[in-house]
Amino acid sequence: MESVLYNILGAVATFLLAFVVGMIYGGLNRKITARVQNRKGPPFYQNFIDAMKLASKRSAIHHGIMQHFGPAFIMVSSVMSLMVVPVLTHNQWFPNLNFHGDLIFLLYIMVFGPLGMALGAGQTGNPNSAIGVTRGLSLMTGFEIPWVMALVALMIQYHTTSIVDLMNVQIQSGTWLMFSSPFAFIAAVMAMLGMFRYSPFDIVGAPAELASGPISENGGKYLFVMMSAGSVFAFVKLTLYVDLFMGGADNLVILLVKTFVLYLIPVLYSLTTVRYRTEHAIRWFWGWPSFFGLLAILQAVFFK
Amino acid sequence: MNPVLNIFILFLGGAILTYFAGRINKVLQSLLFLASVLVPAFLFYTQLSIGQSATFSVDGITLNWSLNYFGWLFSLIVLGLGAMAAIYAVSYMKGKQRLGTFYFNFILSIMSMTGILLSQDLISFFIFWEIMTWSSYLMTIYNGNKVQSIGIKYFVFSAIGAYAMLMAIVMVHSITGSFLIKDLINAYPTMQLGMQIWIPVLLLTGFAVKAAMMPLHVWAPGAYSNSPMAYTSVFSGALSKMGVYGMTIVFVTLINKIPQGIWFREVIAWMGGITAVIGTLWAIKQDDAKKLLAYSSVAQLGYIITGIAIGTELALLAGLFLAVMHALFKGTLFMVVGAVEKQTGTTNFTEVSGLIRKMPWTFFAALLSIIALAGIPPLGGFVGKWMLYESLITSNHYLLVIVIFFSSTAAFLYCYKFLFGFFLGQEEKEWSHVKEAPAAMVVPMVILSLLMFVLGTFPGILLSPINNGLQALGYTDSYKNLWETSVILNGWGNHVVLQPILYYIIAIFLFFVVFLTLKGYKNTRYVTTKDISSSGEIPKEDENLTFSENFYQPFFRAVEPVMRRQIDKFYKNLGEGLEALFEFMRRIYTGNGQTYAIYVIAFVVIMLLFGNYLLK
Repeated sequence: MESVLYNILGAVATFLLAFVVGMIYGGLNRKITARVQNRKGPPFYQNFIDAMKLASKRSAIHHGIMQHFGPAFIMVSSVMSLMVVPVLTHNQWFPNLNFHGDLIFLLYIMVFGPLGMALGAGQTGNPNSAIGVTRGLSLMTGFEIPWVMALVALMIQYHTTSIVDLMNVQIQSGTWLMFSSPFAFIAAVMAMLGMFRYSPFDIVGAPAELASGPISENGGKYLFVMMSAGSVFAFVKLTLYVDLFMGGADNLVILLVKTFVLYLIPVLYSLTTVRYRTEHAIRWFWGWPSFFGLLAILQAVFFK
Repeated sequence: MNPVLNIFILFLGGAILTYFAGRINKVLQSLLFLASVLVPAFLFYTQLSIGQSATFSVDGITLNWSLNYFGWLFSLIVLGLGAMAAIYAVSYMKGKQRLGTFYFNFILSIMSMTGILLSQDLISFFIFWEIMTWSSYLMTIYNGNKVQSIGIKYFVFSAIGAYAMLMAIVMVHSITGSFLIKDLINAYPTMQLGMQIWIPVLLLTGFAVKAAMMPLHVWAPGAYSNSPMAYTSVFSGALSKMGVYGMTIVFVTLINKIPQGIWFREVIAWMGGITAVIGTLWAIKQDDAKKLLAYSSVAQLGYIITGIAIGTELALLAGLFLAVMHALFKGTLFMVVGAVEKQTGTTNFTEVSGLIRKMPWTFFAALLSIIALAGIPPLGGFVGKWMLYESLITSNHYLLVIVIFFSSTAAFLYCYKFLFGFFLGQEEKEWSHVKEAPAAMVVPMVILSLLMFVLGTFPGILLSPINNGLQALGYTDSYKNLWETSVILNGWGNHVVLQPILYYIIAIFLFFVVFLTLKGYKNTRYVTTKDISSSGEIPKEDENLTFSENFYQPFFRAVEPVMRRQIDKFYKNLGEGLEALFEFMRRIYTGNGQTYAIYVIAFVVIMLLFGNYLLK
């Protein structure tokens, strides 16, 4: 009984941490973007204000049961991936499910949410939603290839598919995997640009083109849940990259520093380019990122 | 009397009785049909024990039937799915023409598949294989349309497969002097290298046709989509698994016994991978649900073939697990298409949309099957996919795993298209009269989809029979009963523990359903899908907001070079070339006596003139 309680408390604590950090990072993204564009920009806690406003609103209409389930699906996916990714190296604070799933499980649970949300978006009948979903799924076939290549390279180099084992490898050898498997890191970071869906890969939401795409018919609490799921998910992705490539983090401060540095890559890259068309985005991922992924696999095979 | 023979007699007698009962009473016919599928299936599991055998002698040739664990495993697919499809079929076929033919062929298909699983000698194997081909061929052309293009294509490919198999059987007999499969397995390692290569190649050709492996898959999309849907769920779910059954036996008992087997394994595994990619890409392109599922079947069988060809224990487990899962979800999905077809009269995504509120249970079954197909936890498809990836990585197939992964990610596209096309999107007035399918159709679908849910968390239920089956083929169990817990393991000792994952998922889902959905559902009112903010404007009542044409246009712009080549075109060109050749032959063999007389004279003249040189 005690262990169940411990698990539940740990899960809630992890969730709150991920929620807060993800929200702040989102706010900082808005701030940085504004400063680069020579605007003042909203304060870094603006996302909390938005979230509170959304959470306090009441919806009046719905389009059917799947629209209600959509946000729940995406939340399940975000929280489940959060449970599987180890937050800190010595993990007594956040036990969760770290030893119960591995990388391939993570890959699949991560796509559960977008698909579930796509179903919710589909039922609203808004054509923009469906177009956004088709773009999102197409984009996924693009960036998953270099991402999986990078992961496979790590797996075959260290003979494990477990995230915890890969972290232990880095602790034992004292080298981060981004230095010992540089090509895998490059491929993975390039894939991350697509995962975050910032410009030039913001083709799903596509402001001023698709009217925010899949989320367009959702408001109030639904939008709040989607927003928090997105924030949690951003935290999960960054933590996963830190765990895999940057040696994990011993305490929260190091974790924040590492994740924020990593987060700057998609944020700053998004400021330099404008949106691609979907087919160009897919082909972009099948170009250089996949080439680096291939190099990573070759490296893993020949220089074990 | 011997229970094995009993089962065959019941099937056969039932088929004939059902055929003629239609003249008396339609209800009686349907009841007889159900009885003649369900009763033998029931007897199969109650009367037959492992090792039960029967023989039947005709004219000096003895046919041997016996049940082993491996056959028992596949009998779960054949009889389980067969029983569900039979219940579904009675309701689906209500009011259709030529019921007798349908029922007769349906029962014969089930019987022949059961026979294949029981056959211990090549002769009865071949006989049942041919009965299976014939009955499925008659089902393919049951609708009476496109007999030329689809029926003939299926039959030509089946014939190629059957002749290849027959050739192998004759070769085996000339070497070993026996038709028993056991003797073939014993004699195989000592054969000459040429025979060691030719026999598996010929047998695999026969099986690859039924398993729709590239490049022998071109018959599948047409044949699957042209049969009545109640039968297609068996056709794609169970009948294609007979190819998998044969392939597994060939790989495990023959090819893995010789050192050259590695070439077979690599080539077939890659062909499976390419089949998966091509099938997936073409599935995404289809606008017809039947075609989409048919191509998706081709793709899914690609995974299964890859798993079996790799041949490590985990890969075989993955392949066979996926085979059973594929039977479950593709069986269900074809039933879903059948239900939609029955209620709306069309299966085209561009015509029908927004059925979710009208057919909620059908949607529920479709949703669970699609999640299983996509391989997303906590449904059963994930377990199979996971084991397949892990086995590919641990057995050093690094590029193949990328190929399979690509196909699996691209599969999300057609998964979404299927759900969106039928059930989501704009609710059109045209379909406002549509009702949920009859209970006899819904219940089998829901039962099958719940089974997938159970297998996703407790895969041990299925993995232990698979393990037993593999041991019956001569594999040693390296996991030692670990399958009884709900943990899946790879060769490096990494694992996924499924139970806590399921509990977490359910807990989180319920939390949000209670705090968001229930509350939201009560406090909000339903509005139509026309009442939306379309770019800030309120769409008019007659405005067309349905999005279904060119669904994945950007994706196809990206993969366009791959789609340009088509194996079907190659066969068509080959066929046309052959026709031209035959046309030329016809000019020579005109059937006119005078022409032949000229040939004879010409021959004599040539011989007289040049005979000296030619015959020297």
